[in-house]
Amino acid sequence: MEPALIFDLILLLTLISLAWLLLASTDLFRAVVLFIAFGLLLALAWVRLGAPDVALAEAAIGAGISGALLLIGLGQLGSSERDRCPVRPLTFLQHLSAPVLIGVIIPSVTVILLLELRQLQVVTSGQQGLVQNLLSISGSDHPVTAVLLNFRAWDTLLEKGVLLLALITIWSLDQARPRFENTDIPPLLSGFGQLLLPLLILFAGVLLWQGGYVPGGAFQAGALLTAAMLLATLSGYALPSRWTGVALRLVLVAGFLVFLAVAAITLLLRGEPLHYPQRLAGGLILLIEIVATLSVAAILSAALAGGHPVTNLPPAATPTTKIEDKS
Amino acid sequence: MTGLYIGLALILLLTIAVGLVRVLRGPTATDRMLAAQLFGTTAVAILLLLGQAGNSTAIWDVALIFALLAAVAAVTFVRRRNIDTDSHQEGNRGHH
Repeated sequence: MEPALIFDLILLLTLISLAWLLLASTDLFRAVVLFIAFGLLLALAWVRLGAPDVALAEAAIGAGISGALLLIGLGQLGSSERDRCPVRPLTFLQHLSAPVLIGVIIPSVTVILLLELRQLQVVTSGQQGLVQNLLSISGSDHPVTAVLLNFRAWDTLLEKGVLLLALITIWSLDQARPRFENTDIPPLLSGFGQLLLPLLILFAGVLLWQGGYVPGGAFQAGALLTAAMLLATLSGYALPSRWTGVALRLVLVAGFLVFLAVAAITLLLRGEPLHYPQRLAGGLILLIEIVATLSVAAILSAALAGGHPVTNLPPAATPTTKIEDKS
Repeated sequence: MTGLYIGLALILLLTIAVGLVRVLRGPTATDRMLAAQLFGTTAVAILLLLGQAGNSTAIWDVALIFALLAAVAAVTFVRRRNIDTDSHQEGNRGHH
């Protein structure tokens, strides 16, 4: 057998067993670490499938940010919940729901999907030819960016909306608490932050800009900025409270609103939403991507903070309050 | 040459598969986390080899993202564990 084939087979087997192990794990910390490993291998799988764009997104969001998000989330659970999944007695309906789900709903959905699949026409060539033909008028030299920001820009617009909705949900559930002790920052950490922060910000800019002609883009760049923000938070930095009001909310919604404004203006002037004039397409895509990068970074960072900002609390007093809460 | 790069990547992938034992068995959280960190480093090496084999610079970017972000997860873990140990001690004192 060829080494490439063996590589793919082992990657596939490891991915499937990892997925099973992490779902079956009762130790939540172990499940989180397995999830990080799963994200790494999934990015490798996307590379092997010849989809570097997806691999970039998976590497930045899947393995990087979700790992940190889950670790922080795990730290917020009570100590009993943290080590083991809680086992509660089930109610009658909960007992009933599993057999109904497994016995009725999943088989019927599978049958419907299979029937639908038989109706689909098999297009072996995909849409590559079509996209390549229209690439010159799309305003981007990279086919994936052309599809995401022009031909199917509607999907990307809604994606930004979903991200915003997720954050609104998080904000409605809890307030942001200080996740980490602000005192006693190890010197190793502050030195490490000084080294890594400029690199993260620089590479975010590179990814954003190169999205115009090679794999890259707003989501990946935003994820890297989020990592920079997280590193700063871990090194004791906190967003000044005068910025957590209107300013923060403006940055959060800007990505979605600018995109929506472009959709509205194109709808009014050209009769079709997101139908850019060919001359302005490149500039519009760049504008949407730059604002989206900032918004994605702000939304993901706010999600890592885990709740809506507390404006009336002086930041210096927070560590003391936290210790009192625990005892 | 391409065969050599893929072959080396295959060996590295096998070390990840074997390393999963440490994540599964632990015993401490640090063992599991450090194994995941090692996977991150190995994945960077695999991606560089695959990029060289496929002559694709986009794969190097994926490797660069891994190299930058793996450290952030480690820092999150270390900062979080400190607080965890404190709260554990507090909890134990409460129980006694």
